[in-house]
Amino acid sequence: MEQKKEDSGEAIAKSMFEMARLKVPIISIVIGEGSSGGALAIAIANKVFMLENSIYSILSPEGFSSILWKDSSKTKEAAEKMKLTAKDLYELNVIDKIIKEPNGDEEESFRKISQNLKKEIKSVISEMNDNSLEEIVEDRYLKFRNMGDFINI
Amino acid sequence: MIVDKMKKREPSAKNKNVTIDIPVGKWAKCDNCKEIIYKDVLKENLSICPNCGHYFRMHINKRLKLIIDDGTYKRFDINIETTNPLELEEYPKKLKSLREKTGLQEAVACGTGKIKGEEIVICIMDSGFLMGSMGVVVGEKITYAIEQAIEKKLPLVIFSVSGGARMQEGIISLMQMAKTTAALTKLDKAGLLYISVLTDPTYGGVTASFASLGDIILAEPGAMIGFAGQRVISQTIGETLPEGFQTSEFLLEHGFIDKIVERKDLKDTIYKLIQFHKEGK
Ligand SMILES: [Zn+2]
Repeated sequence: MEQKKEDSGEAIAKSMFEMARLKVPIISIVIGEGSSGGALAIAIANKVFMLENSIYSILSPEGFSSILWKDSSKTKEAAEKMKLTAKDLYELNVIDKIIKEPNGDEEESFRKISQNLKKEIKSVISEMNDNSLEEIVEDRYLKFRNMGDFINI
Repeated sequence: MIVDKMKKREPSAKNKNVTIDIPVGKWAKCDNCKEIIYKDVLKENLSICPNCGHYFRMHINKRLKLIIDDGTYKRFDINIETTNPLELEEYPKKLKSLREKTGLQEAVACGTGKIKGEEIVICIMDSGFLMGSMGVVVGEKITYAIEQAIEKKLPLVIFSVSGGARMQEGIISLMQMAKTTAALTKLDKAGLLYISVLTDPTYGGVTASFASLGDIILAEPGAMIGFAGQRVISQTIGETLPEGFQTSEFLLEHGFIDKIVERKDLKDTIYKLIQFHKEGK
């Protein structure tokens, strides 16, 4: 109860603010269900990856359908409309890379995902090694500064 | 989030009416005391109920008149529209009809203007436009305003009223929280003053981004301010919420905001804060 007194809005805002100016390369990886401000609060990164089958969204499909269509049962329709898959988000330029999740044996699959991730993380870090700290911060800034297309009228 | 807070004043009543001073008709009903008020009287009284003191939500134009010196407001020449990223059929129609109905382009207006002769960059949101929700247009306009404040070395004042991130644009709306916040890191670095004024209601992704990041955070009396709606929180934690939870008075007590300022004193208070900041340099 105590921690809920001020709600979580300010915490999310401050977390994003600090992340936006951290002078180190940051990589965020969506590995399951990333939703709303809580996910975004730890995703102000130079590179955002998503596991192939993970989702990242403004809120849950239940919430989306309840707010937009005043009916919380249209979850399937909402999930299809919301563009929350790794593929959708890659196309929207919200994420930078999709990490493949091979089918089959769970342990084997986990090992392969980990290897993949390790490779990608290493490659980002070595790529950014050549940049100054200011460039790293600016790179992250521009990524979020340019989020969302619009039409000039 | 949005749905939840619309019902805030009387959780038991199935009352979907929110107090908005719509520009048509001669009468308005107070959401708090239910008194029917003649609109001219309401206007004279800064859109505050003369019977019970309840604050009505304000149209951007009225707020501008209240805060900015006459004839000094210059809106930024930024005219943009959403691409409708989720390809929703109803959304563009909804925007079109809201533009006609409210006379507003979008849920925020941004520009420069003077407060008792002091030039500032000002952004004012409007709850009459899709509950003041933030999609790409609102996010871009606020970010542009922040950049203009940096370029012109001016103080920034944002009046927030919002249901949060705009559902109709999905994840792109969520990203506007990051965009506006990142821009504020630059304003901070430039050492410029940002005063955030919270008005009823300020929720969701707006609370969880620029609205909470003011160097000074002011709020109007009795404003409801939070991230998640009360019903959601109380269901999640399985407890009833304390009396007055999410009111500006409660938040002042818990250190989230710096001062509650009555509507009639807002202009003067903002002016004084700008003066203090100048002298402190
Ligand atoms: Zn009243």
